[in-house]
Amino acid sequence: MNKIDTFFNKLKAANRTAFIPFISIGDPDIEASFEIAKTLINNGADMIELGFPFSDPMADGKVIQKSYERALKNIISMQDAFDFIKRLKAYRDIPVIFFTYYNPVFVLGHKFANGARNAGVDGVLIVDLPPEESDEFTKYIKKKDIYQIFLLAPTTDIDRMRYILSYAKGFVYYVSVTGVTGARETLSAAIRSKVKEIKKISDIPVGIGFGISTKEQVKEISEYADAVIIGSKIIQFIENNINDKSRILKEIAEFSFNIRSSLS
Amino acid sequence: MKLPDNMGHFGAYGGRYISETLMPAIIELEEFYKKIRKDNSFKKEFNYYLKNYVGRPSPLFYAKRLSDIYKSEIYLKREDLNHTGAHKINNTIGQALLAVKMGKKRIIAETGAGQHGVATATVCALFDLECEIFMGKKDVERQEQNVFRMELLGAHVNPVESGSQTLKDAMNEALRDWIANVKNTYYMIGTVAGPHPYPQIVRDFQSVIGKEILKQIKKLPDIMIACVGGGSNAMGMFYPFIKYDKVKMYGVEAGGLGIKTGMHAASISGGRPGVLHGNKTYLLQDEFGRIKNAHSIAAGLDYPGVGPEHSHFADKKRIIFDSVTDEEAVSAFQMLCKLEGIIPALESAHAIAYLEKIKREIKGKSVIINLSGRGDKDMHTVSDYILSK
Repeated sequence: MNKIDTFFNKLKAANRTAFIPFISIGDPDIEASFEIAKTLINNGADMIELGFPFSDPMADGKVIQKSYERALKNIISMQDAFDFIKRLKAYRDIPVIFFTYYNPVFVLGHKFANGARNAGVDGVLIVDLPPEESDEFTKYIKKKDIYQIFLLAPTTDIDRMRYILSYAKGFVYYVSVTGVTGARETLSAAIRSKVKEIKKISDIPVGIGFGISTKEQVKEISEYADAVIIGSKIIQFIENNINDKSRILKEIAEFSFNIRSSLS
Repeated sequence: MKLPDNMGHFGAYGGRYISETLMPAIIELEEFYKKIRKDNSFKKEFNYYLKNYVGRPSPLFYAKRLSDIYKSEIYLKREDLNHTGAHKINNTIGQALLAVKMGKKRIIAETGAGQHGVATATVCALFDLECEIFMGKKDVERQEQNVFRMELLGAHVNPVESGSQTLKDAMNEALRDWIANVKNTYYMIGTVAGPHPYPQIVRDFQSVIGKEILKQIKKLPDIMIACVGGGSNAMGMFYPFIKYDKVKMYGVEAGGLGIKTGMHAASISGGRPGVLHGNKTYLLQDEFGRIKNAHSIAAGLDYPGVGPEHSHFADKKRIIFDSVTDEEAVSAFQMLCKLEGIIPALESAHAIAYLEKIKREIKGKSVIINLSGRGDKDMHTVSDYILSK
């Protein structure tokens, strides 16, 4: 059984909503990002989403773009990313979602899938790989016990929702804004009803991400969703304190702890 | 087999690699376009503007002095004589009509040198559409005049400061804008690339180039040559001739400082397959699948990818891809000025430069070159280049 399934089953039994933070591997450098990941885990992260820095992050807002640019200065290879994940898994065995654009995966093909499996990746979220084009990747991860995590957006209508949910495994990622990644102050009122629609079609867990940054938002989401994903807000702490690593860790620890405490 | 297939694939290439947020808009566009491309009143309207606004058909000019030098029969398809000075307007007229029919009031577009931006701003003025152009900050600085031109036409130009601050980053930013404003916005892609159905839409609208040539010639040419950045002028000329097996086709990519230096924009000659900006195609990339910056003296060729249909025909060897350097392109640019009294765009000068590479092969044969644009925009670039030598 995939670790993501075991994990959500456990949460469900405990009636708990998962906190999934997102960071980029290698921002501001490999060791510091490893310390950040550990800090998140020690302060309430239930699962972690790790971004592989890409040159052309078309679905990302300014904060994650800059994070990737910082990381790319360290020339992070796919092997570096796999080593990072392996070490992290040895530190604490929580589910790891690998976030990437398709090209770095495509150029490696089967090698990517083998490396990801050895590193302990449980799910791969490829933001520019919709189900229509996913056959090729499905072949790579076949028999590897890795899930492709699919996304639903506010623009996805009910028919398409059914179509995507027929592919979805582990959990489905609901993009809470019509836009790119990045913290927003308010939460669209439509999310609750969208999640309700999803739940009518499938009993797969639903994670909410894009634009989430505050305790209040998180509290509300925990009333109807199974996981909350926060990226830009956390990465902003890195950008704000780029020359002070201990401060980065301190602020991220506090934020993470507060978010976890706001979730049921 | 008809290309693309109904999933937008050209053999192993093309497709739709985009965020879920955009998928419904892309499917809406595909379904709308499927209906309208066969609609006679739409075709009529498109042809009306091509004739009365763009000034089509563009002449197929027999270049006598050039022909004498190469001992062959060389014709130039004069897309440089179109309104706004290049073939780009054929596509923007078509897509603007499409946007109007779809009820979209806001147009976004990416541009490199500014040619597609100007062509987009032009049709937005013509059809009373709001126009947002995304242009890399470096290109904004290099192409001041085109920025001013777009602003005169009523467009708002957004300088893009992320990444390499050039065309690929402008396209990233246009996609980000589209993700946020997808409900009321039409994304006007300028070349035969991007997610399905864009490569097909742009090819269809640009095909007017090749279709006119078919009417203008008495017999099929032996050879056709076009420059290839994204590849819209080339596909526009080649596509109606693809079925004529004996017509040989050359796609000339931008070799920049030379393929071996890594400083070029030749995605097929010097790249390998990958996925970017919504399609699978040949790309310039590093070993980790990150996209490399392209280099060419011709800003319109300065893109690290190419249309997926070109990738397909490259693998099938139906179109032969090769490259010429900045230096060879500038020489050809100067040659055409002096021999024919025509100042070509630096992009088109790449196609002219290729004559020299195949001078043995073309002896006694007929050749059609797509002169895709005029060179007024390149005065500074060329004079700087010549002075630096």
